[in-house]
Amino acid sequence: MRTLVRALLSRPAALAAVVVIMVAYLLLYLWLTGDLSGGGSGGWQAVFPAWDRVWQRRGPFQFEPVGLLALGGLVWTFSLLNTLIAASMGLLVGLNVVAGWWLWHRPRQCRPGAGSTGLLGSLPALLAGGACCAPLILVWLGLPIAGTVASLAPVLLPGAALMLSVGLWRISRHLAPSSASECRGLACNPREGRRR
Amino acid sequence: MTLSLFRGAALSTALFLLSSPPVLAGPPGASPPDVPVAHSLASFREAVRSGGPGKDGIPSIDRPRFLPATEARLDDGEKIIGVYHRGQARAYPQRILVWHEIVNDQLGGDALSITYCPLTGTALGFRRGETELGVSGKLVNSNLVMYDRATDSEWPQILGVAIDGPLAGQGLEELRVFWTTWGAWRARHPGSEVLSEQTGFVRNYRRDPYGSYNPVSGYYAPDSRRLFPVMHRDDRFPPKTEVFGLRGPEGALAITRQALREEGVIDVTLGGWRYTVIHDPGLDTGWAFRNPQGIEIRPSSLDFTAEGAIGPGVDRLEPVNGFEAMWFAWAAFYPDTRLYQGAASP
Repeated sequence: MRTLVRALLSRPAALAAVVVIMVAYLLLYLWLTGDLSGGGSGGWQAVFPAWDRVWQRRGPFQFEPVGLLALGGLVWTFSLLNTLIAASMGLLVGLNVVAGWWLWHRPRQCRPGAGSTGLLGSLPALLAGGACCAPLILVWLGLPIAGTVASLAPVLLPGAALMLSVGLWRISRHLAPSSASECRGLACNPREGRRR
Repeated sequence: MTLSLFRGAALSTALFLLSSPPVLAGPPGASPPDVPVAHSLASFREAVRSGGPGKDGIPSIDRPRFLPATEARLDDGEKIIGVYHRGQARAYPQRILVWHEIVNDQLGGDALSITYCPLTGTALGFRRGETELGVSGKLVNSNLVMYDRATDSEWPQILGVAIDGPLAGQGLEELRVFWTTWGAWRARHPGSEVLSEQTGFVRNYRRDPYGSYNPVSGYYAPDSRRLFPVMHRDDRFPPKTEVFGLRGPEGALAITRQALREEGVIDVTLGGWRYTVIHDPGLDTGWAFRNPQGIEIRPSSLDFTAEGAIGPGVDRLEPVNGFEAMWFAWAAFYPDTRLYQGAASP
């Protein structure tokens, strides 16, 4: 898996794609948890009055904001740990998507559908974020299942991270040198795959 | 020898007493409680659900700061929770309390907890004694389950009675608070103070995670669905319809907002006792009284001041706490509630 990640991140186009997906996922995650939201009154503001609360938990994998960043209509109640969690999940999603895209461009015998596990894994993490402190998804859906989701919240994020990691590992197995004979030595080289 | 033994024992006892942590008393209250408990305590405990955040994950405000009304940046239509106690008025903006749910405050020399549950639309005040109330992170019938920091007993806000812990079965002492708008509150209490956004926590106080009251939308819309299961379901009204409720030892009574506004003064019998509820057009809420003498109150004779309704006969009524609540939650806590929809309704 390390080889796959190194290969992905060493190519500028793949790296850019991973970063874009990671940032998009991070923003979506922060928005669903309520850390990022509207309500700004214009202009900009950056205050960090609560660094002493950096480790203070609000719920499973949810931490107290330490600062507030406002730009135009957007307000970000900044928690260092929430942001790191969101970025880590976003990185995993980005790697899964780009690796899955690589796999899709392999010969048919080299794509076992491993990418879908990774993409499915991105959903529980979003639900976990939304279940804690700002149940936006549940209010929109109007489903009386918040109790069930809340009770699952402690396992949603680790479950998502596990699913994304397994997805990435499955892709890496099919692109790794060990399966090179099956894929005729095309592992980790999408350009050759496309030429075929 | 005996003397030295005695000295040693006395010294050990003194050291033990000094080193023991102080035992804090729980909040003051009545046991048995003054309010009805329609389900068994065991049923309530079984119906408790995790709300998502952990204990104190929704942090109470324990060192509130206040601004004078002239410095408050509130629109007239914004919802606030108002308290008038011993000649002192304070307003707690809903958009701040939606993030904290409890303010442990001191007002007129008394230690009070001002509480608000966004999921049931209920605001209640309680005397807290030497302790503080906190948010347990649990819900029952979607309603905030509070805990007291002295005994860790758990108290659903609407019920006002501990369902778990050392104080299970004890009722809290309630204090009337008002669910109204800033414009209405300021008109009644021009000298009111307002809770500051300097709460010690970082939150986006310009945004409500559940929806909006101005205009009503999202979770607060009458027809929108509840998020958590309830112990009893009653579909006579859309779930989030606001009713004015009061409780006595004999049972519970819910009055529709429309009936309260239209009739001005409502006389209703509950468990053989007569209750009188007076509509306050300024704050658009009710003042509830027990009326054992059957005194007739004429709406045209009433005036409303900071102290409440005044007029002939009002001083002979016995005040009872009342508060607004979403219908689904009221019916879940009080399945046998009497419902008053107007004199013309059955």
